[in-house]
Amino acid sequence: MHRIDSHPTHKHAKFDLRVGKPLPFGATIVPGGVNFSVFSRHAASCELVLFRKHEPQPYAVIPFPDEFRIGNVFTMVVFDLDYEELEYGFRMDGPFRPQEGHRFDKTKILMDPYAKAIGGRDVWGKIPDWNNVYPHRARIVYDDFDWEGDHPLENPIEDLIIYEMHVRGFTRHPSSGVKHPGTFASIREKIPYLKNLGVNCVELMPIHEFDEFENSRISPVNGERLMNYWGYSNVGFFAPKAGFAATGKFGMQVDEVKALIKELHKNGIEVILDVVFNHTAEGNERGPYISYRGIDNKTYYILTPEGYYYNFSGCGNTLNCNNPIVRNMILDCLRYWAADYHVDGFRFDLASILGRDQNGAPMHSPPLLETLAFDPILGKCKLIAEAWDAGGLYQVGSFPSWGRWAEWNGKFRDDVRKFLKGDEGALGGMAQRLQGSPDLYQSENRGSRASINFITAHDGFTLMDLVSYNGKHNEANGENNSDGGSDNLSWNCGWEGPSTDEGVRRLRAKQIKNAAALLLASHGTPMILAGDEMGNTQGGNNNAYCQDNELSWIDWRLLKENDELFQFFRKMIAFRKEHPALRCIDLLNRGNSSGYPCLSWHGQKAWNCDWSAESRCLAMMLCESGALAGRPNDMFLYVAMNMHWDMHGFELPVLPGGLAWHVFANTDMRPPHDIWEVGQEKAAENQGEFLVGPRSIVLLTGKPRT
Amino acid sequence: MELKIETRDGVSVITVEGKLDGNTSAQAQEKIMPLVLPGARLVMDMSRCDYVSSAGLRVLLLVAKQTASRGGKVALAGVGDEVKDVMEMTGFGGFFKNHPSADEAVRALKAG
Repeated sequence: MHRIDSHPTHKHAKFDLRVGKPLPFGATIVPGGVNFSVFSRHAASCELVLFRKHEPQPYAVIPFPDEFRIGNVFTMVVFDLDYEELEYGFRMDGPFRPQEGHRFDKTKILMDPYAKAIGGRDVWGKIPDWNNVYPHRARIVYDDFDWEGDHPLENPIEDLIIYEMHVRGFTRHPSSGVKHPGTFASIREKIPYLKNLGVNCVELMPIHEFDEFENSRISPVNGERLMNYWGYSNVGFFAPKAGFAATGKFGMQVDEVKALIKELHKNGIEVILDVVFNHTAEGNERGPYISYRGIDNKTYYILTPEGYYYNFSGCGNTLNCNNPIVRNMILDCLRYWAADYHVDGFRFDLASILGRDQNGAPMHSPPLLETLAFDPILGKCKLIAEAWDAGGLYQVGSFPSWGRWAEWNGKFRDDVRKFLKGDEGALGGMAQRLQGSPDLYQSENRGSRASINFITAHDGFTLMDLVSYNGKHNEANGENNSDGGSDNLSWNCGWEGPSTDEGVRRLRAKQIKNAAALLLASHGTPMILAGDEMGNTQGGNNNAYCQDNELSWIDWRLLKENDELFQFFRKMIAFRKEHPALRCIDLLNRGNSSGYPCLSWHGQKAWNCDWSAESRCLAMMLCESGALAGRPNDMFLYVAMNMHWDMHGFELPVLPGGLAWHVFANTDMRPPHDIWEVGQEKAAENQGEFLVGPRSIVLLTGKPRT
Repeated sequence: MELKIETRDGVSVITVEGKLDGNTSAQAQEKIMPLVLPGARLVMDMSRCDYVSSAGLRVLLLVAKQTASRGGKVALAGVGDEVKDVMEMTGFGGFFKNHPSADEAVRALKAG
């Protein structure tokens, strides 16, 4: 049966039209045509501009008849469009009065804020036509992907081992050995690698459409073209980055991303997207018109009383997140990625901005954050905040959460780094981090679920660089080494940069293993930076946002060279998965049949840790009840940490009868004696004391003697 | 695009010539769907098809799904490397078995 409203009522030139439906926003395929719907509160009129794919000039401009406007929404159905070959935009007429916040320019062709695919940067790095009248072009997509019963995995967050990666950097290096380097498709080829490593969640750095040529320039240092490689600057929020798709040149990026997510899910790997709602690629008043500025500047951006752009993002403008229109757009966007792409969660870049009001002031109960916390469609999605912004708001431990939001725990990173390099007075902080940061997350009963633990992330040193450089080396970024954080809490192990000295190299390998052990033995959800497990380096660059070259691409040759690091990570991950006591969110409330505390602190003396500032020796013991682990008996885990430059003996706590200490890992030993396969631990020779080498970590399990 | 339909050993062989894209896929679908009868066996010979767009892939998948739901089978033949690659990367590949030639596809369908 045909719908009775599927026939045209109006005509413009050769186009048949009728009034559209205001919802959903964007372009939607309807019987016989396409329904276009776009909001603007302050525009006086709007035109739909149609292009054939890649053609320089439009083939049609159709004004929205005034009777097609509903409230502040222009909406229209255009019949008989070949939507696969179509690119569309809008032109809006309205006031240009910057002091009042209005910047309409009826000559600019504007991208639909709800564009589901965006053309213009279809192939990564292809030099664009700078005179293009419409550089970022909205396209229409099919949303009928065949998921074959796929569903987000909905694993408890505490069971995740997150692996943060840049889609392009992960496989772009020639050594990756994939068919289409640097693409979504090639991540699929690496799934066996991810499974072997043991991670069960990938966090993709921004995959929304961005412009790699934004602020593109030639490095004065090495002549390389510097690009917006990281992509923390959205052109559109609903469209995947075409240049990351091997099929982007055919406009099939949507299907490629969905096929990737479906395959990751099949292999038990969740997908978290790094989303950037704090600003857009339009920059400040000197930036280009892409979309929002020309559609309704005053709605989309936080403006000063004089009409300039507030810059809480450090990127030129600030999205007006707590304006109801923008709030709804963000909600629509996240719902779309959750429902249409089966995404498992989101990490919000500079999330504190999402809690600022329309004048920029931090709010007590920000409506956007509350909406997301309680949204039914996002109900099982992980919500992770980078709980600070460039405007000086720092909310680690205090991000408004409603029991739903987790945080990138920046304190974890800092405290572990201090402890790792042997700083004085680092023991107390380390103990907090090991037990899931109760000092930060206990007060509102958030627990260790709120803590995403990391030592390294895309922002800052790689793990190899953390133990190879005292200072950052960002000269190649062309900003006189003034960009990037200067407070890295790093230590080069005695030589700045690459070294052939065997002692330095050994110590670095050990420090990397120490870091892996601390990260994976701590309560809270661990996040590993892709490449750290094979000792990937960025040559000391701690802000590689503009480096689309070998500096930032993962060099897969290192996997062979640094096999001992990979094996250590792999086995530590397996150890974490094997032992629920390391992940359990309420360990302290769990009993055990041994009568031991669930968690206890030790040091060179059992049951008696020296907490003084000079002390660098700490041991943690967990009693893992048989009931928790599904084993007949309780088991014990003991982590001895000696970050002092001398060897120290650690007196071991006495185990219940029948159990003995077994060595799982000892970072002071060379491979293959540095770590064992889970379950293959070797009984310790001396059950009363363990000599822990300088700057070393030992992991023991207490179980029936083998 | 042109479609040629013939019957070999009780199997309908549909040869697609030219481009299967947004312009032509609706027409292709209209011609193929009447062949999707209960228990039908279809071979889509793609060896003369130089481009399959997103819309084209959707027609292939629709035909395959409809045929399967009526107890029939669809096989592809002669899919070029690039199209095969695109199908693989976009998740369409898993739904089809591709054979080097239409004759081999016919034989496989008859045997299976």
